[in-house]
Amino acid sequence: MSLKNAPTQPHPSASFWGWAMLGLALLIFFLLPWTISPLWIRIATEVLMWAALAQSWNIIGGYTGYLSFGHGAFFGVGAYLTGIAMLHFGLPFGLGLLMSGMAAALLAIIIGYPTLRLRGAYFAIATWAFGEMIRQIATILEITGGAFGMQLPPFLNLPFFYYLFLCIAGLTYLTTYLLLERSPFGYKLLAIREHEEAAEMVGVDTVMIKIKAFALSAFFPGVLGGAYAYWVTYIHPDSVLGAIITDFMVVMAFLGGIGSLWGPFLGAILIQLVNRYLWLVWGEGTFYLIIIGAAICAVVLFIPSGIIGLLESRIYLPGTAWKEFRKKVKW
Amino acid sequence: MELLLQTLIDGLLIGGLIIVVGIGFSLCFGVMHIVDFAVGEWVMLGAFTGFLLVKYFGHDPMIYLPLLFLTFFALGWTIYPLIYRAVSGKRHNPVLMGLVFTFGLSILAKGSALSIWGYHIQSISTWMSGKSLSIGPLTIPALRFSGFLFGIVVTLLVMLFLYKTRLGITIRATAQDREMANLLGTDVKKVGALVYSLYAGITGMSGILIGALFSIHAAMGVKYCTLAFFVVVLAGMGYVPGVIIAGLILGLLQSFVGVYIGGRYNLVALFMVMYVVLLITPKGILRRGI
Repeated sequence: MSLKNAPTQPHPSASFWGWAMLGLALLIFFLLPWTISPLWIRIATEVLMWAALAQSWNIIGGYTGYLSFGHGAFFGVGAYLTGIAMLHFGLPFGLGLLMSGMAAALLAIIIGYPTLRLRGAYFAIATWAFGEMIRQIATILEITGGAFGMQLPPFLNLPFFYYLFLCIAGLTYLTTYLLLERSPFGYKLLAIREHEEAAEMVGVDTVMIKIKAFALSAFFPGVLGGAYAYWVTYIHPDSVLGAIITDFMVVMAFLGGIGSLWGPFLGAILIQLVNRYLWLVWGEGTFYLIIIGAAICAVVLFIPSGIIGLLESRIYLPGTAWKEFRKKVKW
Repeated sequence: MELLLQTLIDGLLIGGLIIVVGIGFSLCFGVMHIVDFAVGEWVMLGAFTGFLLVKYFGHDPMIYLPLLFLTFFALGWTIYPLIYRAVSGKRHNPVLMGLVFTFGLSILAKGSALSIWGYHIQSISTWMSGKSLSIGPLTIPALRFSGFLFGIVVTLLVMLFLYKTRLGITIRATAQDREMANLLGTDVKKVGALVYSLYAGITGMSGILIGALFSIHAAMGVKYCTLAFFVVVLAGMGYVPGVIIAGLILGLLQSFVGVYIGGRYNLVALFMVMYVVLLITPKGILRRGI
């Protein structure tokens, strides 16, 4: 508990250079589809999607300190709901997306209500079991096409999906910034993470706040799942509900640095690029699971504050590099 | 009526084996306050080790039980310092780090198994496979019965160890109040290492029986992970005696759902019961959890 030395304002506001960098990055992202080949547009879209997914996991895992190991289920629920809405009810895509997000948030409230009153271990177990259950339900039900999955009406327009994911990812990061770094809500979450009993003592309604945070963190995966379903047009339980989706979210958020705004983004870029590179070199395989598992373990053991933590200590400056490295990398 | 009785017997027999997976897990949670997400992977590794031993050296798999226990005890002993590292030191939220670490371990184990053995489904056969005992219209498969016996024996041994030996008392004291136990001269780290190795040994050893009863494949860990979670939630997290009742209930539930509703609704039923338990009595059905 490092409450004693905590700065009065939990998240310092960005400097002028920070905003300039952000503007530049946005411009680059906006112009990207004109300069690269379709394969790379696909990969860039994936990176954006994972960045948003990792950030939404970060809302509950990093900012609140409650680990959700079934977050992939919200992604899958979103994908299936959008598919069902478009295929069986003929609803427009946008409405399907909104519905998916809402349904995911509602499910999160249902799951969170009993478990968020308890200690973190219960929450981790319950969300994990929930993820497994949702996958089984998707293979049983008829409306989801069982194990064969479902085929959505194809809409092959790479730039459209690129910008769609850019919008959703932008929205995720903006929401995180405004709600979690710049509002009382975010400070309450931080208080819960640092010392829950103390937060309760000073009058924070911890359960309510945690449920709200969980619902918020489930909303975005729902929307992203819907967009993903329409993008790849063919979904089945293993592709959108596999345990690997949660695994990726966790490793990205952790590698980048949990509880920070840009950590998950860095983690997503790094992990997804490595993943795609391995895929291009070796083809489909299960080898990436070993890498993910080893990466999670190594990050927890040696750099618990993630890449962001390393960068914040100005490791890139020549004089401080080694000193800070020894301080941050725990042996 | 016959079907009902048969289902009841099957459920109880399976429950005996589930207790073994749950008991080490519950003990481990009680002492270290960490949910080990790799519990299913220990079962999987145990099953594969047993399978390989039988394949290369022959003999009946039951002979290898002590060997497996020792192997996994040693494995747990080697891994524990890493877990201890993850939960101690100047970290923000130690419990959170421990959870993520075991989660990473489970992915690592699953990925390695999938890369080495692929998705093939294997099985171990023993001299008991296919034999059964019949009492009137009911049949008791010999293998399931021996699994049940194994469960009872292991549970009794663990209970005796916990309640009758000095070391067991130390372990219970650590589970009750870690800091106080430390103040009174208990080496908490050593106790943790012992409990974790014991848990790894028991769980890995049960893997070979589970492998003989059901099929072995690299992704089987998920199922046993769910079972172990369910058992400890029902029993009350960290309350070891509750595991016995919870394991039997789980066995019955599985067996009844499998016969009367359909095996594929298994996880759904499990989750529903778990949800209701968490909603009504979050400290387990005996209200003794932590």
